[in-house]
Amino acid sequence: MEELRRVIREMLAGGKVDLVIAYAKGSLPLRSTPVFIRNAEDAECAVFDATCENNLSTYLPRYAGKRLAVVAKGCDARSVQEYLRERQLDPGNVVVIGVPCQGVIGRDRLSRRLSGKEITGAEMDGDTVRVRGDGWEETLQLFEVLHPSCETCEVKEAPGAAIKLGEAAAAQVAEPFALVDDMERLTPDERWAYFTAQFEKCIRCYACRQACPGCYCKECFVDRSAPRWVGGTDDPSDTAIFHIIRALHLAGRCVDCGACVKACPMGVDLRALNKKLERDVRELFGFTAGLEHEGKQVLSTFRADDPNDFIK
Amino acid sequence: MSNLYIPHKARIKEIITETAANDVKTFRVVFEDESVWDSFQYRPGQFAELSVFGVGEAPISITSSPTQKGYLEFSIKKAGEVTTALHYSAPGELIGVRGPYGNHFPVEIMEGKHLVFIAGGIGLAPLRSLITYVLDDEHRGKFRDVTIIYGARSPGDLVFKWELEKWEKREDIRFYLTVDRGDETWTGREGFVPAVLMEVGPSPENTIAITCGPPIMIKFVLQNLEKLGFSPSQIVTTLEMRMKCGVGKCGRCNIGPRYVCKDGPVFTYEQLRQMPQEY
Amino acid sequence: MAVKILQKKDLPCLLGKWSQSARVLAPARQDEMTNLAPWEPGAELDLGRNTWKPLKELFFPRSERMFAYTGDRMNAELSPIDQDHEQTVVFGVRPCDARSLALLDRVFLDERFTDDLYKAKRERTVLVGLGCNKPLRSCFCTSVAGDPHGTEGLDVLFVDTGDEYAVYPLTGRGEALVGELPEGSGEVEARASALADLARDMMPRYPAEVLPDKLTHMFEHEIWDRIHEKCLGCAACAYLCPTCHCFDVTDEAKTTEGHRVRNWDSCMFPLFTLHTSGHNPRTSGKQRMRQRIMHKFNYFPVNSGAIACVGCGRCVEVCPVNTDIREVISEIGEVK
Repeated sequence: MEELRRVIREMLAGGKVDLVIAYAKGSLPLRSTPVFIRNAEDAECAVFDATCENNLSTYLPRYAGKRLAVVAKGCDARSVQEYLRERQLDPGNVVVIGVPCQGVIGRDRLSRRLSGKEITGAEMDGDTVRVRGDGWEETLQLFEVLHPSCETCEVKEAPGAAIKLGEAAAAQVAEPFALVDDMERLTPDERWAYFTAQFEKCIRCYACRQACPGCYCKECFVDRSAPRWVGGTDDPSDTAIFHIIRALHLAGRCVDCGACVKACPMGVDLRALNKKLERDVRELFGFTAGLEHEGKQVLSTFRADDPNDFIK
Repeated sequence: MSNLYIPHKARIKEIITETAANDVKTFRVVFEDESVWDSFQYRPGQFAELSVFGVGEAPISITSSPTQKGYLEFSIKKAGEVTTALHYSAPGELIGVRGPYGNHFPVEIMEGKHLVFIAGGIGLAPLRSLITYVLDDEHRGKFRDVTIIYGARSPGDLVFKWELEKWEKREDIRFYLTVDRGDETWTGREGFVPAVLMEVGPSPENTIAITCGPPIMIKFVLQNLEKLGFSPSQIVTTLEMRMKCGVGKCGRCNIGPRYVCKDGPVFTYEQLRQMPQEY
Repeated sequence: MAVKILQKKDLPCLLGKWSQSARVLAPARQDEMTNLAPWEPGAELDLGRNTWKPLKELFFPRSERMFAYTGDRMNAELSPIDQDHEQTVVFGVRPCDARSLALLDRVFLDERFTDDLYKAKRERTVLVGLGCNKPLRSCFCTSVAGDPHGTEGLDVLFVDTGDEYAVYPLTGRGEALVGELPEGSGEVEARASALADLARDMMPRYPAEVLPDKLTHMFEHEIWDRIHEKCLGCAACAYLCPTCHCFDVTDEAKTTEGHRVRNWDSCMFPLFTLHTSGHNPRTSGKQRMRQRIMHKFNYFPVNSGAIACVGCGRCVEVCPVNTDIREVISEIGEVK
């Protein structure tokens, strides 16, 4: 933590960057909150631990043109790489401060583990999470309550980081595509029932889209009114179209940071869809998003000698 | 059960193409059920929500005057979905009309005073309701001198041309017509509306100025009126905001605490100056 | 009206009685969330916390048909949507949510333009409240003129006094539901009132009461530059807010039939105020955040005489980036 603050302080004091986007302690137990640091003396508020669930890279395009630094976990740094590949940021203007990530707490999972009991206080100590509420106290290990994206994380070291603080945890604890395998074992009806149940929870607040670093379209297709592609009602087909097209737009770009799932106030979880597309892209094109920023996007290139006829 | 949001059915009787670019048309509509008039008593400056079923609804100022009985007129610029659908409609077709909504021009306060109307482009549409009302035989005597300054970018952009001709012939008003830039057939005045206002130089004494037009025109008109000595309470304008329900519920047309649909669309410059610059 | 008493074990019996003549909704745990659900004999209630979704949804659904039409460009029939007239009793309403309806009434039931869709649902619904003895971590109702045992908007208030409920009928409709219960003693009433005091004392206070006046002069204040910065621009706060009531209106149509519908909308979205001309009075996140705070703490008080926040804390819990309205209130409160 001291190291992180020192790095931020020095960057700002030395005039290397105009703005550092970092985490500060949040207002609720086990919550952090994004903070925008412009003065070296404010670096003291920066923190990093397993409560730092937000993908801060999502703020970067708002400040395009400024000299920026961002505190990034492995997944967040992968998002930065994709922004660079997609020419949304100038590589000379972004410094990635890679932080040692052990994975972050999945708040939904923790809540389930505690049967929904309200947490009124908590402390983190390394891999140990101590939580308490009205008349109870429990000590848990981080790995028990990791966010599902962190369980399958393959890239804990931040790619492209100019500064690396400490060692990230070694490897994932779960098979990266186990979720997809589980889903594929279901019958089409069962799968559809699962996804329908997710769509039905959606209230169309677009927290998923707004939190997603990959969703930066100036005008999202759901918002377009002429022509209107998707209705705004709670008709399940409208909601399904929003989520399915969003997932397709992220094929080959999603870094599975889990920002969408973490942001959703209704517990909608469509990672299975994103993971399926991620695996397909890897199998078909040998491509994994966010490992570096050179090269073209895998699904938006055109070649005159494309082996498929339909494209010519 | 009554339902605030179900419009009255109305039929398009006539469509007049106003501009050379074909982007402004005036629609004359009549209610299918004549008894609707009992509840549709409107005043100059109010607006209605027009429906094209299957497309949607849009707030449009009523450009006819309550002195014109039996029909309503709306002058509509083709812009969004609903207005485009209206532009593609034909006489005989059915639309929906809900209203009248909003406040109105302060006619009572205007009585006994000189009036100066300053309009640009389609901004004449909401003022036309009041002008027609004031010029009506029954009301003309209640008002003093009437001055109308109207301009558009080009001759082709002038609206209500048939009405403008009538105004030019009237002896009881002063009418100044201008275009930013004329064409080969234009023999009239050239010049921007705010500049013409300065040339005309109306006295603020016992006068109310009513203005509507593009934002940039309004900005300079307001400056010039102040130069001429008009106080903000003597200047009246009417605003446009994105609006849905028209009845103060859907929450999008507010400027500060004021809702354009309920508290407006007519505001004095004095009121506007107390509102945040967020429109 | 005098306090009544109900042994806790007899609650299912009472709900059962209500359910003979009305649909009864009560909080239940489903999908790891507590929300209102139709009550049936044997159903397990979850009365430990407020519902995740706000009460407004019953009266102002996320998506609602406003009327139906059939026909074509030449002829069309317009018809109202059949409203469900089934009497509904909602049990376990928290005082903050009941107050939110009293605030929404000022918008939807205003005399000049009464929203009949909302009104029909209000009229068929009886609200049975449950006082809060243990505020949750994000509760702050007492800072915004609410009370953990408040009665505004309720027809009956239940207070959990241990083995029994102290039951306060508040309206004629409430009296009809609980009139037959035995009268409670002064001792029960004293216990209930002590619990209310305790709950009030448990809640931290934020200086919301100074905001309506203060904000009048703060439209251009630099504070907005800070407050909005981390906001992602989603509508999680607004959609789960019990008092946010903005909506969009669209037509959902097939060739010869369709509906006009309204859907929740939010001032946090840039398209909310976008004119057809392309002009947008609120292009920046800062302007939109300012609108939301100003609407709740200044515009609504100016127009409707109350702060449009009931302190339920839902926005605090759901914000993906932990924007905490209590901190915003404190920050504005501290401005000199």
